[in-house]
Amino acid sequence: MPTFVYMTSCDGCGYCVDICPSDIMHIDTTYRRAYNVEPNMCWECYSCVKACPQQAIDCRGYADFAPLGHSVRVLREEEKATVSWRIKFRDGREKNFVSPIRTTPWGSIKGPSEYAPPSAAAMSSQELAHEPEGLKVDVLPTLARSRLKKGLV
Amino acid sequence: MSRKTVFVDADILVVGGGMGGCGATYESRYWGRDLKIVCVEKANIERSGAVAQGLYAINCYMGMHWNENQPEDHVRYARNDLMGLVREDLGYDIARHVDATVHKFEEWGLPIMRDPKTGRYQREGKWQIMIHGESYKPIVAEAARKAASEVYNRIMVTHLLMDSRHPNRVAGAVGFNVRNGDFHVFRAKAVIVAAGGASHIFKPRAAGEGMGRTWYAPWSSASAYALPILAGAKMTQMENRIVLTRFKDGYGPVGAYFLHLKTYTQNAYGQDYEAFWRDSIEKLVGDYVNHHPVPTCLRNHALLEEVKAGRGPIRMVTKEAFKDPHKETVGWENFLGMTVGQAVVWASQNIDPKETNPELTTSEPYVMGSHATCSGAWASGPEDYAPAEYQWGYNRMMTVEGLFGAGDTIGGTAHKFSSGSFTEGRIAAKAAVKYVMERSKDRPEISEAEYTQLRKVIYQPLENYRIGRNEIVGGTVSPSYLLPLHGLQRLEKIMDEYVGGISSHYTTNEPLLTRGLELLAMLKEDLALLGASDLHQLQRAWELQHRVLASECVTQHTLFRQETRWPGYYYRADHPHLDDKDWHCFTLSRYDSQTGRWDMEKAPVYHIID
Amino acid sequence: MFVHNPFAALPASIPPIAKQTYVAVMFLLVVCGTLFDLAHKGSASYFFRHRRAVSFGARRRVSTGEATALAVETLVVSVLGAGEFCGMWRRITHILTMYGFVLYVLTTAIMVFAYPTAAAPGPAVVAELWYLGALLVCIGGYWFWFLQRVDVAAEGQSRFRLVRADLFVVSLLASATFALIWAGLQGAGSDVWANVFFGLYLLASTALFASVPWSKFAHMFYKPAAAFQRRIEQANGFRGNLPAPADRPATFGSARRQPQNY
Repeated sequence: MPTFVYMTSCDGCGYCVDICPSDIMHIDTTYRRAYNVEPNMCWECYSCVKACPQQAIDCRGYADFAPLGHSVRVLREEEKATVSWRIKFRDGREKNFVSPIRTTPWGSIKGPSEYAPPSAAAMSSQELAHEPEGLKVDVLPTLARSRLKKGLV
Repeated sequence: MSRKTVFVDADILVVGGGMGGCGATYESRYWGRDLKIVCVEKANIERSGAVAQGLYAINCYMGMHWNENQPEDHVRYARNDLMGLVREDLGYDIARHVDATVHKFEEWGLPIMRDPKTGRYQREGKWQIMIHGESYKPIVAEAARKAASEVYNRIMVTHLLMDSRHPNRVAGAVGFNVRNGDFHVFRAKAVIVAAGGASHIFKPRAAGEGMGRTWYAPWSSASAYALPILAGAKMTQMENRIVLTRFKDGYGPVGAYFLHLKTYTQNAYGQDYEAFWRDSIEKLVGDYVNHHPVPTCLRNHALLEEVKAGRGPIRMVTKEAFKDPHKETVGWENFLGMTVGQAVVWASQNIDPKETNPELTTSEPYVMGSHATCSGAWASGPEDYAPAEYQWGYNRMMTVEGLFGAGDTIGGTAHKFSSGSFTEGRIAAKAAVKYVMERSKDRPEISEAEYTQLRKVIYQPLENYRIGRNEIVGGTVSPSYLLPLHGLQRLEKIMDEYVGGISSHYTTNEPLLTRGLELLAMLKEDLALLGASDLHQLQRAWELQHRVLASECVTQHTLFRQETRWPGYYYRADHPHLDDKDWHCFTLSRYDSQTGRWDMEKAPVYHIID
Repeated sequence: MFVHNPFAALPASIPPIAKQTYVAVMFLLVVCGTLFDLAHKGSASYFFRHRRAVSFGARRRVSTGEATALAVETLVVSVLGAGEFCGMWRRITHILTMYGFVLYVLTTAIMVFAYPTAAAPGPAVVAELWYLGALLVCIGGYWFWFLQRVDVAAEGQSRFRLVRADLFVVSLLASATFALIWAGLQGAGSDVWANVFFGLYLLASTALFASVPWSKFAHMFYKPAAAFQRRIEQANGFRGNLPAPADRPATFGSARRQPQNY
């Protein structure tokens, strides 16, 4: 279901151009507003829809198989860490869903440099960062080479 | 045309900012506090890769500390699903580390659902846990940004650079800025390729706008394969393409439906058909039909046979399950957090699973390395237990020195999914840091002649279009250049008709494969005549280049393996049975970019335990 | 230097009625251009069709009092405060350009209709505001043109690329720039060059007002109407099919950064 941009809501800010994983949201040369230049490379990932500060982007199901008259719109509210969906069927039925998207504040991840540097012993072991505590078991599992059996051929 | 050349020096270059690349970036910094870690991504790491729209489940989590699974259980599961052929050493390695990755995701802020009765992660199935993962990628990207020295978005890497003084050693990469056209030359002591696998190499079921609704992201343009192939790395299991049974048209996921909602499939007449095909499957694959759970490819096969027998469409029986409001919510949110397009399809056709049992279909084939499939580069295994044939140096290093891989890039490691790919990125990163530190006195040198020549090649499509455009009045038809979309559609048709796509019910044979190679050879020649009207089209041109090379590799591997190992993924009609006597092995290929020759060989499979 | 009324200082061979007719024609061009644009494109028909669809999908009626309040809010926030721009710097350049333009146009009309002759050039403050208006247009406009235009900032297009979307802002900047140069040269006494730039100023201004059917000029009228309509849709529950905001506290901060692009 490729995306399209509402003329009167788009103010040409470029957030959608910045976020699109497929590089298909670009700026129209007549209105200096955004539009989908290659709908057949649109995955309907809704990244642009969610990123638009004006909610100016919407989706219409792929013409190959989606009859008109439906609507699936989203409100991603970072400050509340929620995403809300409103699905409207072609026949008018509606379904609404709200989900959390994060449990910690944006920007709060502790970078790897903020941890104590690894010891030489850790470096030469098979353990990755934050192990074995991060595994919540005492020891990183390993195998004895002798257990491996050559398969047929 | 005057273009700026930007030189970037790095200790470790991570190519691709998806799950694998973000894992590699994070872990590289942990072990290499003073190293310069550079991540380069053709899109924007905030939403790039297969997890752009989010995920509703993490499909690779052991739960070791709750005694739910042990790593060897996962290896048995993956081996079983891939009909015996996985790199058990690599798979065990991912499985033993993945729990720590998932716990870190939760700490970072990924909402993981909990079982209200036990307090543990809510299991969807034996290996899968349920998450509210709409922002899975932004969370992981935040961690990568806090680790990297620099993140380069909108730079498409087209080629790796080799060390001018040591053969078979990587020295960096080149690419172009998709926005302003600058030429980028990355010099690095180690390179971790964590790019995307291959969608859009077989003709998809929807050919118009619907082309965009591929199961795997349309921006997975096989760079995970083309970059190592061109560098001379050995590839494995490239014949092991995956076909998925998913909801019709939208390709929405069925995992939660089968496992959590306990729905099941029926043919058009309301009959359970899988048992009907059991005996004929046994004639094809022998005892593998008795394995539990039934391998993915064999379930596909049963569905396919049922459809061919004229008893389709196959439907997912949802009417009873959806009466439960909780299950109904899960059924819809499953799509909204992972494949919104399926919700759109149902809304557009007035399909409510409470009232209708929705249709299923088998998809067109994909080639990737992180799902119920394991195509990719042949990599060295973990030092503590990998057998000698699987180890020649650092963990996750390919057969090219200094070249590491993670995610789709690495072959033989099925069922790792998002958490496993991130974990593999971490594994590769630690190994790459060790490699860089142990080789600190011996940095690779790039060759000016090499990157100058590549620069010309990279921008050639822009020139082809600019000059060739003068011949015609307008439109898309030119006798002297090919638009990237033209090349893509030709590739997809060749692969579909000759290498086992949907139009032949995934069936091929030697004469077809040989003819396919001839047509691919002509397409490869025509790639020199691609015409790109702007930088966006130039990106499409290079995505096509990577796809064509990967497709050639897939075809060579499909020709080499003279058996049908995974009925339901593809069939060699001239070798219709599974043949454990001669083919219980890996297929390996190595491409010589000077001569265009493919050298094929077999490699042994090691099993952990019977 | 920039204190004299440049319209009054034009050669006496140009009678006041000519200047006034020109201004009146420019005003008519804007009105007719906008009406033509609406009719030709059918955008007004679309707008009213959309309103009808909204009224079917609405959940509650919006009272006249409520609608009036929303109209006032639209005027204050969206029009006077340039609230339709989500980026802070875009908002700032738009405000500079918008108020500059209003000042520039209004003082032109005042000088041309009330003080068109050298004998009675009017109070200095009117002319000073004219210069200020043109200057604000240039500051906001050039800043926008070279640094903020999304096709440059987000897409990497050349700063000097000209496309149809640039018609309005380029002709506006040309008009204001040539106006300042003309008035400056006129004040410095170099008549020939002043006349050259006066000619350029006339060309640019005519292009600005005559190109309304092809440029983004008329969007300054459409956007407020759309902003008001959006507020109505929020109030009557239609919300453009968007879900309602979640009922959760806003305690997670925001990750939203200016697009980094490349």
